[in-house]
Amino acid sequence: MAKKKVDFDKVKKDVKKTISQITEVSEEELKEDADFTNELGIDSMMALEMVAAIEKKYKIVIPEEDIPNIRSLKNIYSILEKNLKK
Amino acid sequence: MDNWNIEKIKEILPQRPPFLFVDRVLEIDTNESKITCLKNVTINDYFFKGHFPDRPIMPGVIMIEALAQASIILFASLKPEIAAKHPDYLFGKIEAKFSRIVTPGDKLILEVTKGKILNSGGIVNAQALVDNEVAVSARITFGVKQR
Repeated sequence: MAKKKVDFDKVKKDVKKTISQITEVSEEELKEDADFTNELGIDSMMALEMVAAIEKKYKIVIPEEDIPNIRSLKNIYSILEKNLKK
Repeated sequence: MDNWNIEKIKEILPQRPPFLFVDRVLEIDTNESKITCLKNVTINDYFFKGHFPDRPIMPGVIMIEALAQASIILFASLKPEIAAKHPDYLFGKIEAKFSRIVTPGDKLILEVTKGKILNSGGIVNAQALVDNEVAVSARITFGVKQR
């Protein structure tokens, strides 16, 4: 159990790095709760790219209808948490 | 399938000659979310005048544009209610690999398959082929904006 938690911390770190690269928002600015559109200036196309990159990296499928609900890093973490703990 | 002649294509695509690069829609598979279109490449295409005067080669960027136009038609067939409002279609990101030159007389087959399609944009996987040989394969991210 403890091991799994450690793994997910690493996932979070990797995801943050990936998203920072795609969006060109620094990892420091990329706070868990920061709103992608209103605070970080991330547009819907970048959001699509993020989703595509995460799907590829973790071999998961994020349904199209869930994408507009992805507002912050926190949302992405919870999607991943759900998918990776299955 | 509906008869997708040039008039119907022009109802969806805002582009016009000489910048319209889909001559015909050959197939739309809405279950598979895939479209196949045709662009007949001819010496009359305007870009051959300068690219290049002594050796006509279809510019790679024009092939990408042709694939993007096919992508718009795929988007329109999956999201007809949005396409009906004639939004602006914008490139987001393109990753492409070119593997064959295209010259006058070639029949360029444009194949586009959905990656993700949302109301506000999409990601598609596309390839253009001549004689079953891939000339370019690309992954295109695009945005759709209401005016």
